[in-house]
Parts: sequence; structure tokens; C-alpha cells
Amino acid sequence: MTQAVSDAATPSTNGNGNSIIELENIRKYFPITRGVLLRRLVGEVKAVDGVSFQIKEGETYSLVGESGCGKTTTARMVLQVETPSEGVMKFNGKDASRFTGPERREYRASVQAVFQDPWSSLNPRMRVGSIILEPLLTNQPMGKHEAQEHLQTLLRDVGLRQAQGEYYPHEFSGGQRQRIAIARALSLRPKLIVLDEPVSALDVSIRAQIMNLLRQLQDQYGVSFLLIAHNLATVRYMSHQVGVMYLGRMVEQAPVRELFSNPSHPYTKALIAASLPSHPDIEREEMVISGEVPSPLNPPSGCHFHPRCPMVMERCSVDDPVLRQLSPIHEVACHLF
Amino acid sequence: MVAADTRPILEVKDLRTYFHTRTGVVKAVDGVNFELYPGETLGVVGESGSGKSMTSLSIMGLVPQPAGRIEEGSQILYRGENLLEKSASEMRQIRGKEICMILQDPMTSLNPVYTVGNQVIETLRQNDDDQRSTSLKEKAIELLSKVKIPAPDSRFSNFPHQMSGGMRQRVVGAIAMAGAPNVLIADEATTSLDATIQYQYLSLLKELQEETGMAIIFVTHDFGIVAKMCDRVAVMYAGRIAEIADVRELFNNPQHPYTEALMRSVPNVDEDIDFLYSIEGQPPALDNLPPGCTFADRCPYVFDKCLEEFPPAVASDARHIATCWRLIPEFANQEAR
Repeated sequence: MTQAVSDAATPSTNGNGNSIIELENIRKYFPITRGVLLRRLVGEVKAVDGVSFQIKEGETYSLVGESGCGKTTTARMVLQVETPSEGVMKFNGKDASRFTGPERREYRASVQAVFQDPWSSLNPRMRVGSIILEPLLTNQPMGKHEAQEHLQTLLRDVGLRQAQGEYYPHEFSGGQRQRIAIARALSLRPKLIVLDEPVSALDVSIRAQIMNLLRQLQDQYGVSFLLIAHNLATVRYMSHQVGVMYLGRMVEQAPVRELFSNPSHPYTKALIAASLPSHPDIEREEMVISGEVPSPLNPPSGCHFHPRCPMVMERCSVDDPVLRQLSPIHEVACHLF
Repeated sequence: MVAADTRPILEVKDLRTYFHTRTGVVKAVDGVNFELYPGETLGVVGESGSGKSMTSLSIMGLVPQPAGRIEEGSQILYRGENLLEKSASEMRQIRGKEICMILQDPMTSLNPVYTVGNQVIETLRQNDDDQRSTSLKEKAIELLSKVKIPAPDSRFSNFPHQMSGGMRQRVVGAIAMAGAPNVLIADEATTSLDATIQYQYLSLLKELQEETGMAIIFVTHDFGIVAKMCDRVAVMYAGRIAEIADVRELFNNPQHPYTEALMRSVPNVDEDIDFLYSIEGQPPALDNLPPGCTFADRCPYVFDKCLEEFPPAVASDARHIATCWRLIPEFANQEAR
């Protein structure tokens, strides 16, 4: 009925600790213009404002935060859908923005994505087999027979029947569609898959299936994941490393166990306090943070979190806190430390 | 908090809501029974297609016409009166004043071309004796401040698009509270909100409940909301209630295999989980239900009887009822197939 994934409490690590991708002080500013003919620049939205992290081989790095925190923009830069305004993104130690020709093609093949909504991410007019094989055939010309073999392996690996390759997407349920999207992402044997809220559109009983499948495929293929999620429980189950973002900045970064056992930034604490309990007897530390995430158009001075922070001090509204090491594995950007 | 009043304010008896389509009858709700007491919070949990939303629409008298029909013999008793026998105009008096509903998406439940103040007044005008516009406006502003909208005077003349999702949902809350309802149905009311905003909204609903003593039905797919908010829970599967019990009893001692499996398949923020149990398969199609138990093909304990006949509701005590053959002593130790 169930498949064993791994015995470890966190997903096991397959890699040798080398990082696949490294982001160094990445920024993405979107210009805001006024006027039709004479477009004037009236401001900038700092969607991502100096974010650094690295994703290790065979590991899952998760970005958490509320809407508008820049997690999706970051993922889009990793996918090279968006070009960073500043900063360097390194892939296998090389600057990805300088890739041209074959190198760029290789990068695009090595970084794939699975999106939130499996109803809109699959072409309704294509058979599932063609959907899954499309990236493969675009990148590596191969014979029909060989392609079919690849297809059968992929279908089996994601838990679909062989005959289902002939079906159209509408014949599948949400969970099965997500399996198809995962098979498509795996077809090129990528190094990294960006998972943008991969289970939040699915039913509760299906979520566990897909999360277990992803963990199992990570073991099997040795692929890294960049997981974008707002549900902390999902993040805790899936990740090795977690980065917490608030209004375009990284506020805390640590391995998953460290982050959940020793959350340090007031925002991380608030997120955990606001997450729903798993049992009625669990009483959370009351940590009500008032207000909402301010507009990224005009973020608060100093620490972006200071207007909502229960531990706010005088310098918080003046000085930008920088990410500093709390321990060799744990970084936090807060004046309390 | 369970009120001392022992007379239920709402009784749903053998509710069956069917959709008559060209291809057959879809049994969206198929024999649902529960009571709701004043001041109580009942959670209705289930996956999509379990009939939880159709149950709440049936109570509101808003079943989609003409395909949807509440079948003969169903009863929805509000203070002892059968709502199904009320005329359309009588129901209009009850909806919004006695029984209110908050829906998931505050983008679509507010009218984009009226100010939020106007929309609160619209409901007040339906329900209030004092029709002078100044006093209506005062009351509307009072309601907006009751749901903790900052600067309610100036927010009164805002349009929905000028507000954030959390604020809009508060406005919907204010509209719901305008009639001072006895029963509030919150159908996935916080699903589209961010974590910290959801937390604020849930706390707000609890405060309003304590103040007014209304009963709340939380329709949700999230056990976390149930754990945090509810006194009693009904777990729905394929149009029926699989299990209903007090919240602690349900979490500590789930008796239906579906409830048990569902709880084990939810990831947890509070502790590390080695391996998440996953329920294989999918819920059955509602227009082609199997003859026996609807959960039989996904159930780890299934035996012959389950495939032949739908199990009866078994009460292990007066407040804990589950529909499973294994709860009948005769079958208690039946080997799984």
C-alpha cells in the first residue's frame, strides 16, 4: 500500500555536498512607469533584494514566506525566465548569465519545473506520452523505439500505467496530472527541479502520495529540488535546507531541523506560531503579529519587518540588518543577534 | 466551548442532495445527519467531492438549480422548523439574518462596483428596523471596526480592489455579522489567506463567536483548522459522514479507517516525520458508487462484507459515531482480504 522512502527523519542525502546552483546577492527590480508615449520611471518594486543561497546536489532547498515575499520571482530567475537586475547565479561553478549556445541549452535541460496547477500546466490537446516526451525529443533527437522505452520508464517511475501514455490529460485526476508533470520534468534527467507549490492544489489524501513520490524520485534520480511552499508542514517533511523570505529579503536560513527546533528571527517564529496545530492539545506560543505584509512598492525603512515585529527596537527602523551567522549552519538577519 | 443549551439550533436529518444529469444521478450528499448546538463550532472535513460544500449550500437553500435537488425525506430543522418547506421569500428572511455564509474567495464574493460600506449597508437594510441612512452608516462603520479593519471611517468608502485579500475577507465577515446570525457557515473561509493573516482571521472569528454566542460550521479540508477551532468534527467521504465525534476524541481515537489514514497522511509542523502514510487510489465517482462501503477499495482493513453492503452508523458512545463494519463486534476481528 505504501512505499518506503527512507528511514531518516529528513529525506536522505545522495549528493557529495557539492552545490548545483549558487545565488550570490541576487536582486530583481521591476520598474514602474507612468505615461504612454513618454514613459517615465516613477519607481521600482524590489521583488528580490539581495538574496544568496546554494542548493546542494540531491537535496531540497525550500523557500517559505507569504505572498509578495519574492519566492516565486527567485524561482523564475533560477529558471531563467527572469533575468536578475544584479547579482550572480552560478551553475556548477560557472556564471549562468554568460551561458550561450550549447551551454545555455544544457542549462535549460538541467533545470526543470513542476507547477502548482496541474489543470493548466498540461496541454489538453496532446496525449500524455507526447507531453512527457516533448522536452526529450526537442533536446535529443532519437528513434521512436528508444523514445518509447524512455516513456515506459518514466511512466513506471511516477506510478502510472503504460497504457496511460495514450490518454489525454482530461482523463486524469489532479494527483495523476501532477505525476504526469513530474514525469515531464524528469524526462531530461535534470540536475534541479523547481517545485512551485507542487501539492497545494491537491486533495489531502493525494498530497501525501505526491510528496512521497517526490522524495522517492529524489533518491532514485539524485535530483535537487528548489521547493516553493507556504505550508510549513510540507516544508518540514520535504526539505534539507530552508530559507525564510520577507519582502524580498532572506531573513533566516538553516537546515530544516535546526530551523524548526530553534527558529530565531521573529518573523520565522510568527510563521510557526501562526501555522495550524496538528492536534487540538497543542498550544502554540501566542505570537500575534498585527497588520499585513506592507507594499513592496514602498517597503518600511531599516528592517522590513519592524512595523509588525513584537521585539522591535529603536535601531530596527534605521539600520538594515544583515544576514549573520548564529552558528556555522544557521544564519539570521535581525538586530537581536 | 460547548454551550449548556441542549436543544440543537440546527438539525440535519437524512439530507440527500442529488444532481440529475443526462448521464445519471450524482449523489453529492447521500444521507447526512448531524446536529449543531448554540455556541458550538462544528468542523466538516473532507476532500473535494466529499459533499461538504453541497451540505452547506443545502442548508442555505442555494443548491444549484435545476440539476440539483434535495430529495424527499430530507430535513433541515432550524429551531425545529424545516427549512426545506419554506418558500423562497421566507428563506430570504432567514439567509443573511439567521444563517450566514462566508465563502472562500473574497475576490468574487464582493461586488467590485460598490464600495464596501455600501455592501455592508445593503445587508443591514434587509435586517434592520432603523432605516435612516445616517444610522445605517454608523452601524456599518461599527461593524467594520468590529472585524478589526483599521481606520473603518475611511475604509467605508473604499472599493474592494483597494483592499488586500485579508481586508476583503474581513469585509465579508462584517457583512455576515450584519444580520447578527445564529449560525455562521465558513466554507474554506481562510484557504486563500496567508498564514499570519489566516491566524488573525481565525482569532477574530473566535472572538466574535464568544461575543455573540453564534454557532459556527467550518467547512474545510484542513485538519489544522479543525484542531485549532472546532469542538466537534464530521469527516465526510463520498457524500456521507464517515465519522463524527468531539475533536479530541477524533484525534486521539479515530475509528473509521478513512479518518485514521487521513490523519496519518498529513505532514506535521510540530515534529519530524520519518515517513508519511499515503492513501492510495482516489475517491469513487459519485454517479457510479460501489454497492458496498464507498471507502472499501482504498481501505487497508477491507473484508468481504464491506464490498456487499454499506455499513451502518455505529455509536461507540453517544457523541462518537462512525460508519464501519469493523465496529460491529461480530466483525471486529475480521481479517483483511
